[in-house]
Amino acid sequence: MTSSVDQVMVSVAEGSLPKVLNDLREAGLVVDTVLEALGVITGTAEVRAIPALQSIPGVLDVERQWRVQLPPY
Amino acid sequence: MTEPAEVETTGRFLVLLQEDAVDEGVAELGAIAGFDPNSGDLDTEQVQVFPELGVAVVTADPNVLRELNGAAEGTGPVQIVEPERVVHAFAAPVEELEPSADESVTTWGLQAVGADVSTATGKGIKVAVLDTGWEQNHPDFTGRAITTQSFITGESVQDGHGHGTHCIGTACGPRKPSTLPGYGVAYEAEIFAGKVLSNAGSGSDGGILAGIDWAVANGCAIISMSLGADVPAGTPYSQIYETVAQRALAKGTLIIAAAGNASSRPGRVAPVGHPARCPSIIAVAAIDVNRAIASFSSGTVDKIGQIDVAAPGVDVYSSFKLPEKYRRLRGTSMATPHVSGVAALIAEKTGARGHELWSRLASTALRLPLPSTDIGGGLVQAP
Repeated sequence: MTSSVDQVMVSVAEGSLPKVLNDLREAGLVVDTVLEALGVITGTAEVRAIPALQSIPGVLDVERQWRVQLPPY
Repeated sequence: MTEPAEVETTGRFLVLLQEDAVDEGVAELGAIAGFDPNSGDLDTEQVQVFPELGVAVVTADPNVLRELNGAAEGTGPVQIVEPERVVHAFAAPVEELEPSADESVTTWGLQAVGADVSTATGKGIKVAVLDTGWEQNHPDFTGRAITTQSFITGESVQDGHGHGTHCIGTACGPRKPSTLPGYGVAYEAEIFAGKVLSNAGSGSDGGILAGIDWAVANGCAIISMSLGADVPAGTPYSQIYETVAQRALAKGTLIIAAAGNASSRPGRVAPVGHPARCPSIIAVAAIDVNRAIASFSSGTVDKIGQIDVAAPGVDVYSSFKLPEKYRRLRGTSMATPHVSGVAALIAEKTGARGHELWSRLASTALRLPLPSTDIGGGLVQAP
């Protein structure tokens, strides 16, 4: 069981993307996609690294990704 | 849709298994519930497995249930356990059409939102539908401008589920298909079909956000999202989706999402799900042909997730994947594309985008004698 890794999403302040992206990588975020129109980055990170991600200047919020499932019919 | 509910249940339990680890999930289930998954003939009274859906149905006593819930809390292949609900086939005459609903020319939904008498068509408006993809061989859409993109690894945009094709049909489908009735609200809108849910109907925030980003970057005026996850009352809304929705609005893109189908009225009203519970995303409730709230429609139960508008969401006829071609479905999933189509008509007719489009959509909704906690400002109306 590798319960220590989580899929996360990170929102960043407008205009701060390139610098924040580097800082996030250094703090342990494995980047999946950079959504430039939204100022959001998705990826995976160890759960214990999440507070470090949250404390980077320019980061607004860090949240775990939800899963969505349509009801079967 | 994950919240345990005080609804009509069967005493059995649904277990959602990790999509790419169904065999492992069944093995874990067997270890907990005491059956051998390799025995060939499983007792269907005890366990049924639907590998295509990644779902198992098990009969469990309270001890086993505790263990199952423990497994779902962890990160193994058993993801979600919930009581099996008593459901009724879509064809069952639970909520029959009134004889007054004449669908010989257009669906009752198009009539209820006034699309059948509107001069607007959605022409020039880009509408993104983020769902299970698109039936690329559907004959009713020949010649339409459709841009597609899959955000599901390993799956093309081709809709192996049907839900996405149904939603696209309601929002942007034809008014005069070769077989009537017409079923599309904004029948000349430009369609952007983003696949963010797999053929098994599942997805995650990463793919959904990628789809929103794609739609915003392409200048879509409207994003229609008939998807969500049910949450317990009082759950905070996602700050990230709220930021995303505000940024999208600032760029002229309005996000419209299904409130959820977790209610069992009149006994229980479930809260608006994620991400519709964000204040800057329009949350859509479902009504039936008699303009009554649909029994399943999630509602406003606290200050966090509030219903904004309502639209037809019971016995909704629209396009479906081949070979069926058409189906009647119910859900706030079906109400949402009615709202998205109406928003496209208003956008075309008035030029409004973003916050102004939201305002026009909400202010022109038809007030109904129902609680605002159930239907928000009312039944959306074509201009």
